[in-house]
Amino acid sequence: MVFSVAYHFLHDRPAAEEVAQEVFLSLHRHMRDLQSAAHAGFWLRKVAVQRSLDEARRRKRRPQVSLEVVGEPAAQGPQSGPETPGRDPMLGETLRRLIASLPEAPRMVMILRYQEDLDPREIAAILRMPVGTVKSHLQRSLALLREKLARRGVGEFGWTG
Amino acid sequence: MKRKALLAVCAAALPLVAQQFQFHLEHLAAKASNTVDLSLNGSTLQFAAKFLDSDDPDEAKVKKLIASLDGIYIKSFEFKSDGAYSPADLDSIRNQLKAPEWSRILGVKSAEDGETAEVYLRTENKKISGVAILSAAPKELTVVNIVGPVDLDSLAELSGHFGLPRLKETKPGRRM
Amino acid sequence: MDWLERELQQALERKMPPDGFAARVSAAAGKRRSFAPRWWMGAAAAVVLLLAGGSLEYREYRGRVAKERVLLALRITAGQLHYIQQRVQRESQGAPVEVRQ
Repeated sequence: MVFSVAYHFLHDRPAAEEVAQEVFLSLHRHMRDLQSAAHAGFWLRKVAVQRSLDEARRRKRRPQVSLEVVGEPAAQGPQSGPETPGRDPMLGETLRRLIASLPEAPRMVMILRYQEDLDPREIAAILRMPVGTVKSHLQRSLALLREKLARRGVGEFGWTG
Repeated sequence: MKRKALLAVCAAALPLVAQQFQFHLEHLAAKASNTVDLSLNGSTLQFAAKFLDSDDPDEAKVKKLIASLDGIYIKSFEFKSDGAYSPADLDSIRNQLKAPEWSRILGVKSAEDGETAEVYLRTENKKISGVAILSAAPKELTVVNIVGPVDLDSLAELSGHFGLPRLKETKPGRRM
Repeated sequence: MDWLERELQQALERKMPPDGFAARVSAAAGKRRSFAPRWWMGAAAAVVLLLAGGSLEYREYRGRVAKERVLLALRITAGQLHYIQQRVQRESQGAPVEVRQ
Protein backbone atom coordinates (compact mmCIF):
# COMPACT_ATOMS: atom_id res chain seq x y z
CA MET A 1 0.00 0.00 0.00
CA VAL A 2 2.71 2.47 1.02
CA PHE A 3 4.94 1.75 -1.98
CA SER A 4 1.96 1.71 -4.27
CA VAL A 5 0.67 5.11 -3.16
CA ALA A 6 4.14 6.58 -3.68
CA TYR A 7 4.59 4.83 -7.02
CA HIS A 8 1.30 5.91 -8.55
CA PHE A 9 1.79 9.42 -7.28
CA LEU A 10 5.41 9.94 -8.28
CA HIS A 11 5.36 7.62 -11.32
CA ASP A 12 8.96 6.77 -10.52
CA ARG A 13 9.80 3.37 -9.10
CA PRO A 14 13.17 4.20 -7.45
CA ALA A 15 11.71 7.34 -5.87
CA ALA A 16 8.72 5.36 -4.64
CA GLU A 17 11.02 2.82 -3.00
CA GLU A 18 12.90 5.60 -1.25
CA VAL A 19 9.68 7.15 0.05
CA ALA A 20 8.36 3.77 1.18
CA GLN A 21 11.57 3.03 3.08
CA GLU A 22 11.38 6.40 4.84
CA VAL A 23 7.77 5.71 5.84
CA PHE A 24 8.55 2.32 7.34
CA LEU A 25 11.59 3.64 9.17
CA SER A 26 9.38 6.41 10.51
CA LEU A 27 6.89 3.75 11.65
CA HIS A 28 9.71 2.09 13.51
CA ARG A 29 10.45 5.36 15.33
CA HIS A 30 6.82 6.09 16.19
CA MET A 31 5.67 2.63 17.19
CA ARG A 32 4.93 3.50 20.79
CA ASP A 33 2.53 6.23 19.63
CA LEU A 34 0.32 3.72 17.84
CA GLN A 35 -2.55 2.20 19.75
CA SER A 36 -3.68 -0.63 17.50
CA ALA A 37 -3.12 -2.34 14.16
CA ALA A 38 -5.96 -0.30 12.64
CA HIS A 39 -4.33 2.86 13.91
CA ALA A 40 -1.05 1.70 12.37
CA GLY A 41 -2.75 1.19 9.00
CA PHE A 42 -4.31 4.65 9.09
CA TRP A 43 -1.02 6.17 10.23
CA LEU A 44 0.94 4.47 7.44
CA ARG A 45 -1.46 5.64 4.79
CA LYS A 46 -1.41 9.21 6.06
CA VAL A 47 2.39 9.36 6.27
CA ALA A 48 2.76 7.71 2.85
CA VAL A 49 0.56 10.44 1.38
CA GLN A 50 2.45 13.23 3.15
CA ARG A 51 5.88 11.92 2.21
CA SER A 52 4.85 11.42 -1.42
CA LEU A 53 3.57 14.99 -1.59
CA ASP A 54 6.78 16.23 0.03
CA GLU A 55 8.92 14.29 -2.42
CA ALA A 56 6.98 15.66 -5.40
CA ARG A 57 7.36 19.23 -4.16
CA ARG A 58 11.02 18.70 -3.45
CA ARG A 59 11.71 17.45 -6.93
CA LYS A 60 9.41 20.04 -8.55
CA ARG A 61 9.14 18.02 -11.65
CA ARG A 62 7.86 19.47 -14.85
CA PRO A 63 7.50 16.52 -17.20
CA GLN A 64 9.01 17.03 -20.62
CA VAL A 65 9.38 14.41 -23.28
CA SER A 66 13.16 14.74 -23.57
CA LEU A 67 14.03 14.80 -19.91
CA GLU A 68 11.31 12.94 -18.12
CA VAL A 69 12.02 9.52 -16.70
CA VAL A 70 9.34 7.67 -18.65
CA GLY A 71 8.10 4.19 -18.68
CA GLU A 72 7.21 1.84 -15.92
CA PRO A 73 7.51 -1.82 -15.31
CA ALA A 74 4.81 -4.15 -16.54
CA ALA A 75 2.09 -5.05 -14.07
CA GLN A 76 3.45 -7.07 -11.17
CA GLY A 77 2.14 -10.50 -10.42
CA PRO A 78 -0.76 -12.19 -12.20
CA GLN A 79 -3.06 -10.13 -14.39
CA SER A 80 -6.41 -9.54 -12.73
CA GLY A 81 -9.21 -11.04 -14.80
CA PRO A 82 -9.19 -12.57 -18.26
CA GLU A 83 -8.41 -10.53 -21.35
CA THR A 84 -11.55 -8.92 -22.80
CA PRO A 85 -11.60 -9.30 -26.58
CA GLY A 86 -11.03 -5.90 -28.17
CA ARG A 87 -10.00 -4.34 -24.86
CA ASP A 88 -7.02 -2.04 -25.22
CA PRO A 89 -4.24 -3.66 -23.19
CA MET A 90 -2.46 -0.31 -22.95
CA LEU A 91 -5.45 1.43 -21.35
CA GLY A 92 -4.12 0.83 -17.86
CA GLU A 93 -0.75 2.30 -18.81
CA THR A 94 -2.49 5.30 -20.43
CA LEU A 95 -4.60 5.88 -17.34
CA ARG A 96 -1.60 5.72 -15.03
CA ARG A 97 0.23 8.29 -17.16
CA LEU A 98 -2.80 10.57 -17.24
CA ILE A 99 -3.18 10.32 -13.48
CA ALA A 100 0.53 11.13 -13.10
CA SER A 101 0.02 14.26 -15.17
CA LEU A 102 -2.68 15.67 -12.88
CA PRO A 103 -1.79 18.42 -10.40
CA GLU A 104 -0.74 17.09 -6.99
CA ALA A 105 -3.96 17.49 -5.03
CA PRO A 106 -6.40 15.88 -7.50
CA ARG A 107 -3.77 13.23 -8.30
CA MET A 108 -3.59 12.10 -4.70
CA VAL A 109 -7.39 12.24 -4.36
CA MET A 110 -7.74 9.91 -7.35
CA ILE A 111 -5.16 7.47 -5.97
CA LEU A 112 -6.82 7.34 -2.56
CA ARG A 113 -10.22 6.85 -4.18
CA TYR A 114 -9.36 4.22 -6.76
CA GLN A 115 -6.34 2.46 -5.31
CA GLU A 116 -7.30 2.59 -1.65
CA ASP A 117 -11.09 2.58 -2.17
CA LEU A 118 -11.59 5.37 0.35
CA ASP A 119 -14.73 7.46 0.33
CA PRO A 120 -14.55 11.28 0.08
CA ARG A 121 -14.87 11.78 3.85
CA GLU A 122 -11.93 9.48 4.55
CA ILE A 123 -9.88 11.19 1.82
CA ALA A 124 -10.75 14.59 3.25
CA ALA A 125 -9.51 13.49 6.69
CA ILE A 126 -6.17 12.30 5.34
CA LEU A 127 -5.55 15.29 3.10
CA ARG A 128 -7.06 17.79 5.55
CA MET A 129 -9.27 19.37 2.95
CA PRO A 130 -13.04 19.96 2.85
CA VAL A 131 -15.17 17.06 1.61
CA GLY A 132 -16.60 19.37 -1.06
CA THR A 133 -13.11 19.98 -2.42
CA VAL A 134 -12.42 16.24 -2.57
CA LYS A 135 -15.63 15.64 -4.50
CA SER A 136 -14.83 18.50 -6.83
CA HIS A 137 -11.36 17.09 -7.53
CA LEU A 138 -12.90 13.69 -8.28
CA GLN A 139 -15.52 15.08 -10.62
CA ARG A 140 -13.13 17.30 -12.54
CA SER A 141 -10.42 14.68 -12.80
CA LEU A 142 -12.85 12.09 -14.13
CA ALA A 143 -14.20 14.58 -16.65
CA LEU A 144 -10.67 15.45 -17.75
CA LEU A 145 -9.71 11.80 -18.11
CA ARG A 146 -12.81 11.10 -20.16
CA GLU A 147 -12.01 14.01 -22.45
CA LYS A 148 -8.37 12.97 -22.90
CA LEU A 149 -9.28 9.37 -23.54
CA ALA A 150 -11.93 10.41 -26.07
CA ARG A 151 -9.28 12.42 -27.93
CA ARG A 152 -7.17 9.29 -28.07
CA GLY A 153 -10.08 7.37 -29.46
CA VAL A 154 -10.62 5.40 -26.29
CA GLY A 155 -14.05 4.87 -24.85
CA GLU A 156 -15.87 2.07 -23.09
CA PHE A 157 -14.50 -1.36 -24.09
CA GLY A 158 -11.23 0.28 -25.09
CA TRP A 159 -11.95 1.44 -28.59
CA THR A 160 -14.18 3.95 -30.33
CA GLY A 161 -17.29 3.01 -32.20
CA MET B 1 56.98 9.23 -3.55
CA LYS B 2 57.18 7.85 -7.08
CA ARG B 3 54.72 5.16 -6.11
CA LYS B 4 52.26 7.74 -4.75
CA ALA B 5 52.56 9.79 -7.95
CA LEU B 6 51.97 6.65 -10.01
CA LEU B 7 48.88 5.76 -7.97
CA ALA B 8 47.58 9.33 -8.34
CA VAL B 9 48.01 9.19 -12.10
CA CYS B 10 46.25 5.82 -12.25
CA ALA B 11 43.39 7.11 -10.09
CA ALA B 12 42.99 10.17 -12.30
CA ALA B 13 43.08 8.03 -15.40
CA LEU B 14 40.53 5.47 -14.21
CA PRO B 15 37.34 7.54 -14.86
CA LEU B 16 38.56 8.15 -18.42
CA VAL B 17 38.34 4.43 -19.14
CA ALA B 18 34.56 4.87 -19.12
CA GLN B 19 33.84 8.29 -20.62
CA GLN B 20 36.14 9.61 -23.31
CA PHE B 21 36.47 13.04 -21.73
CA GLN B 22 35.67 14.61 -18.36
CA PHE B 23 32.49 16.63 -18.10
CA HIS B 24 33.44 18.66 -14.97
CA LEU B 25 29.83 19.89 -14.65
CA GLU B 26 28.84 18.55 -11.22
CA HIS B 27 28.78 22.07 -9.77
CA LEU B 28 25.86 22.99 -12.06
CA ALA B 29 23.48 20.48 -10.51
CA ALA B 30 22.90 22.70 -7.49
CA LYS B 31 21.80 25.57 -9.73
CA ALA B 32 19.66 23.53 -12.11
CA SER B 33 15.89 23.23 -11.91
CA ASN B 34 16.11 19.91 -13.74
CA THR B 35 19.09 17.60 -14.09
CA VAL B 36 19.56 14.43 -16.07
CA ASP B 37 22.69 12.47 -15.25
CA LEU B 38 23.07 9.19 -17.09
CA SER B 39 26.17 6.99 -16.90
CA LEU B 40 25.53 3.78 -18.77
CA ASN B 41 28.61 1.62 -19.25
CA GLY B 42 28.90 -1.33 -21.60
CA SER B 43 27.63 -3.85 -19.04
CA THR B 44 24.56 -1.75 -18.30
CA LEU B 45 23.81 -1.38 -22.00
CA GLN B 46 24.07 -5.11 -22.64
CA PHE B 47 21.96 -5.86 -19.58
CA ALA B 48 19.30 -3.36 -20.69
CA ALA B 49 19.31 -4.84 -24.20
CA LYS B 50 17.91 -8.09 -22.79
CA PHE B 51 14.78 -6.21 -21.78
CA LEU B 52 14.24 -4.45 -25.10
CA ASP B 53 11.36 -5.82 -27.11
CA SER B 54 12.51 -7.01 -30.54
CA ASP B 55 8.90 -6.89 -31.74
CA ASP B 56 8.64 -3.16 -31.05
CA PRO B 57 10.13 -1.26 -34.03
CA ASP B 58 11.65 1.53 -31.89
CA GLU B 59 13.10 -0.83 -29.30
CA ALA B 60 14.45 -3.16 -31.99
CA LYS B 61 16.38 -0.25 -33.53
CA VAL B 62 17.73 0.68 -30.12
CA LYS B 63 18.78 -2.89 -29.45
CA LYS B 64 20.73 -2.99 -32.71
CA LEU B 65 22.32 0.39 -32.05
CA ILE B 66 23.57 -0.34 -28.56
CA ALA B 67 24.79 -3.86 -29.35
CA SER B 68 28.30 -2.66 -30.11
CA LEU B 69 28.49 0.38 -27.82
CA ASP B 70 30.73 0.65 -24.77
CA GLY B 71 28.84 3.42 -23.02
CA ILE B 72 26.50 6.38 -23.13
CA TYR B 73 27.16 9.31 -20.83
CA ILE B 74 24.87 12.32 -20.62
CA LYS B 75 24.63 15.34 -18.43
CA SER B 76 21.75 17.69 -19.13
CA PHE B 77 20.72 20.72 -17.13
CA GLU B 78 17.79 23.10 -17.27
CA PHE B 79 18.02 26.40 -15.44
CA LYS B 80 15.41 28.93 -14.43
CA SER B 81 17.45 31.89 -15.56
CA ASP B 82 20.27 32.81 -17.93
CA GLY B 83 23.88 32.88 -16.84
CA ALA B 84 23.80 29.80 -14.64
CA TYR B 85 26.77 28.32 -16.46
CA SER B 86 29.77 30.07 -17.93
CA PRO B 87 31.57 29.76 -21.27
CA ALA B 88 34.46 28.27 -19.29
CA ASP B 89 32.29 25.27 -18.44
CA LEU B 90 32.03 24.39 -22.11
CA ASP B 91 35.59 25.43 -22.92
CA SER B 92 36.95 22.89 -20.46
CA ILE B 93 35.24 20.19 -22.53
CA ARG B 94 36.16 21.72 -25.89
CA ASN B 95 39.81 21.79 -24.86
CA GLN B 96 39.72 18.04 -24.28
CA LEU B 97 38.10 17.59 -27.68
CA LYS B 98 41.08 19.28 -29.31
CA ALA B 99 43.05 16.07 -28.82
CA PRO B 100 44.18 14.58 -32.14
CA GLU B 101 41.75 11.66 -32.02
CA TRP B 102 38.80 14.06 -31.99
CA SER B 103 37.55 16.16 -34.89
CA ARG B 104 34.70 18.59 -34.97
CA ILE B 105 32.41 17.64 -37.83
CA LEU B 106 29.53 20.04 -37.29
CA GLY B 107 28.74 23.25 -35.51
CA VAL B 108 25.66 25.45 -35.60
CA LYS B 109 25.16 28.76 -33.89
CA SER B 110 22.21 31.08 -33.61
CA ALA B 111 23.00 34.61 -32.54
CA GLU B 112 19.26 35.27 -32.34
CA ASP B 113 18.52 32.50 -29.82
CA GLY B 114 21.95 32.36 -28.24
CA GLU B 115 22.04 28.64 -28.99
CA THR B 116 25.03 26.59 -30.13
CA ALA B 117 25.47 22.94 -30.92
CA GLU B 118 28.57 20.96 -31.91
CA VAL B 119 29.21 17.37 -32.92
CA TYR B 120 32.64 15.74 -32.61
CA LEU B 121 33.80 12.35 -33.82
CA ARG B 122 36.52 10.26 -32.26
CA THR B 123 38.44 7.96 -34.54
CA GLU B 124 40.97 5.21 -33.91
CA ASN B 125 42.66 3.39 -36.78
CA LYS B 126 40.35 5.25 -39.15
CA LYS B 127 37.26 3.88 -37.45
CA ILE B 128 34.71 5.80 -35.39
CA SER B 129 35.20 5.09 -31.70
CA GLY B 130 33.05 7.81 -30.14
CA VAL B 131 30.74 10.77 -30.56
CA ALA B 132 30.47 13.93 -28.50
CA ILE B 133 27.60 16.41 -28.68
CA LEU B 134 27.71 19.77 -26.93
CA SER B 135 24.48 21.73 -26.92
CA ALA B 136 24.06 25.06 -25.19
CA ALA B 137 21.17 27.48 -24.89
CA PRO B 138 20.72 30.33 -22.39
CA LYS B 139 18.81 28.10 -19.97
CA GLU B 140 19.94 24.65 -21.02
CA LEU B 141 23.16 22.75 -21.31
CA THR B 142 23.54 19.19 -22.59
CA VAL B 143 26.68 17.14 -23.09
CA VAL B 144 26.57 13.67 -24.62
CA ASN B 145 29.39 11.14 -25.04
CA ILE B 146 28.64 7.93 -26.87
CA VAL B 147 31.52 5.49 -26.58
CA GLY B 148 32.21 2.80 -29.13
CA PRO B 149 31.89 2.19 -32.85
CA VAL B 150 28.81 4.38 -33.28
CA ASP B 151 26.73 3.73 -36.37
CA LEU B 152 25.94 7.28 -37.43
CA ASP B 153 23.26 6.15 -39.87
CA SER B 154 21.42 4.35 -37.09
CA LEU B 155 21.75 7.39 -34.84
CA ALA B 156 20.37 9.62 -37.59
CA GLU B 157 17.53 7.14 -38.12
CA LEU B 158 16.33 7.91 -34.61
CA SER B 159 14.69 10.96 -36.18
CA GLY B 160 11.16 9.80 -36.92
CA HIS B 161 11.09 7.64 -33.79
CA PHE B 162 10.71 8.42 -30.12
CA GLY B 163 7.93 10.88 -30.95
CA LEU B 164 10.28 13.12 -32.91
CA PRO B 165 8.97 14.46 -36.22
CA ARG B 166 10.72 13.28 -39.34
CA LEU B 167 12.43 16.24 -40.95
CA LYS B 168 10.99 17.04 -44.38
CA GLU B 169 11.36 20.04 -46.60
CA THR B 170 8.09 21.74 -47.48
CA LYS B 171 7.13 24.93 -49.23
CA PRO B 172 8.22 27.99 -47.28
CA GLY B 173 5.99 28.38 -44.33
CA ARG B 174 6.11 29.62 -40.82
CA ARG B 175 9.43 29.57 -39.05
CA MET B 176 10.07 27.04 -36.31
CA MET C 1 -19.46 3.05 -10.74
CA ASP C 2 -19.02 3.40 -14.51
CA TRP C 3 -16.54 1.81 -16.93
CA LEU C 4 -13.88 4.49 -16.38
CA GLU C 5 -13.96 4.10 -12.63
CA ARG C 6 -13.66 0.32 -12.96
CA GLU C 7 -10.70 0.79 -15.32
CA LEU C 8 -9.11 3.19 -12.85
CA GLN C 9 -9.44 0.63 -10.06
CA GLN C 10 -7.65 -1.88 -12.26
CA ALA C 11 -5.01 0.56 -13.47
CA LEU C 12 -4.27 1.74 -9.95
CA GLU C 13 -4.17 -1.67 -8.35
CA ARG C 14 -1.48 -1.92 -5.74
CA LYS C 15 2.09 -2.34 -7.01
CA MET C 16 4.53 -4.44 -5.08
CA PRO C 17 7.93 -3.06 -4.16
CA PRO C 18 11.04 -4.89 -5.41
CA ASP C 19 12.14 -8.13 -3.86
CA GLY C 20 14.28 -7.60 -0.80
CA PHE C 21 12.55 -4.36 0.18
CA ALA C 22 11.35 -5.68 3.54
CA ALA C 23 14.85 -6.97 4.33
CA ARG C 24 16.41 -3.60 3.53
CA VAL C 25 13.94 -1.76 5.73
CA SER C 26 14.47 -4.23 8.58
CA ALA C 27 18.23 -3.89 8.25
CA ALA C 28 18.03 -0.11 8.35
CA ALA C 29 15.63 -0.20 11.28
CA GLY C 30 17.88 -2.59 13.17
CA LYS C 31 20.59 0.04 13.24
CA ARG C 32 18.35 2.38 15.23
CA ARG C 33 17.50 2.05 18.93
CA SER C 34 13.89 1.39 19.68
CA PHE C 35 12.09 1.72 23.00
CA ALA C 36 8.96 -0.06 21.86
CA PRO C 37 7.76 -3.02 23.91
CA ARG C 38 8.84 -6.42 22.55
CA TRP C 39 5.37 -7.47 21.44
CA TRP C 40 5.14 -4.36 19.27
CA MET C 41 8.43 -5.30 17.58
CA GLY C 42 6.85 -8.50 16.38
CA ALA C 43 3.68 -6.71 15.30
CA ALA C 44 5.65 -4.03 13.48
CA ALA C 45 7.78 -6.65 11.75
CA ALA C 46 4.61 -8.39 10.66
CA VAL C 47 3.17 -5.12 9.36
CA VAL C 48 6.36 -4.34 7.43
CA LEU C 49 6.49 -7.79 5.89
CA LEU C 50 2.79 -7.79 5.11
CA LEU C 51 2.71 -4.37 3.53
CA ALA C 52 6.10 -4.41 1.88
CA GLY C 53 6.36 -8.00 0.67
CA GLY C 54 6.60 -8.40 -3.06
CA SER C 55 6.92 -11.19 -5.49
CA LEU C 56 8.69 -9.26 -8.26
CA GLU C 57 12.12 -10.53 -9.12
CA TYR C 58 14.66 -7.88 -8.32
CA ARG C 59 16.61 -8.63 -11.48
CA GLU C 60 13.61 -7.91 -13.66
CA TYR C 61 13.10 -4.63 -11.83
CA ARG C 62 16.73 -3.67 -12.39
CA GLY C 63 16.45 -4.63 -16.04
CA ARG C 64 13.42 -2.43 -16.59
CA VAL C 65 15.12 0.48 -14.88
CA ALA C 66 18.20 0.00 -17.07
CA LYS C 67 16.06 -0.21 -20.19
CA GLU C 68 14.24 3.03 -19.39
CA ARG C 69 17.54 4.79 -18.74
CA VAL C 70 18.89 3.64 -22.10
CA LEU C 71 15.73 4.78 -23.88
CA LEU C 72 15.92 8.13 -22.11
CA ALA C 73 19.57 8.52 -23.11
CA LEU C 74 18.77 7.86 -26.74
CA ARG C 75 15.74 10.15 -26.67
CA ILE C 76 17.96 12.96 -25.47
CA THR C 77 20.62 12.16 -28.09
CA ALA C 78 18.02 11.90 -30.85
CA GLY C 79 16.51 15.19 -29.73
CA GLN C 80 19.86 16.95 -29.89
CA LEU C 81 20.75 15.51 -33.29
CA HIS C 82 17.31 16.37 -34.59
CA TYR C 83 17.72 19.98 -33.48
CA ILE C 84 21.12 20.16 -35.17
CA GLN C 85 19.73 18.65 -38.36
CA GLN C 86 16.96 21.25 -38.38
CA ARG C 87 19.40 24.14 -37.96
CA VAL C 88 21.72 22.85 -40.67
CA GLN C 89 18.84 22.35 -43.07
CA ARG C 90 17.49 25.84 -42.41
CA GLU C 91 20.87 27.45 -42.88
CA SER C 92 21.79 25.55 -46.03
CA GLN C 93 18.46 26.17 -47.71
CA GLY C 94 18.08 29.73 -46.54
CA ALA C 95 14.34 29.22 -46.21
CA PRO C 96 12.11 28.55 -43.24
CA VAL C 97 11.43 24.87 -42.78
CA GLU C 98 8.06 23.56 -41.70
CA VAL C 99 8.22 20.30 -39.85
CA ARG C 100 5.52 17.74 -40.51
CA GLN C 101 4.79 14.94 -38.04
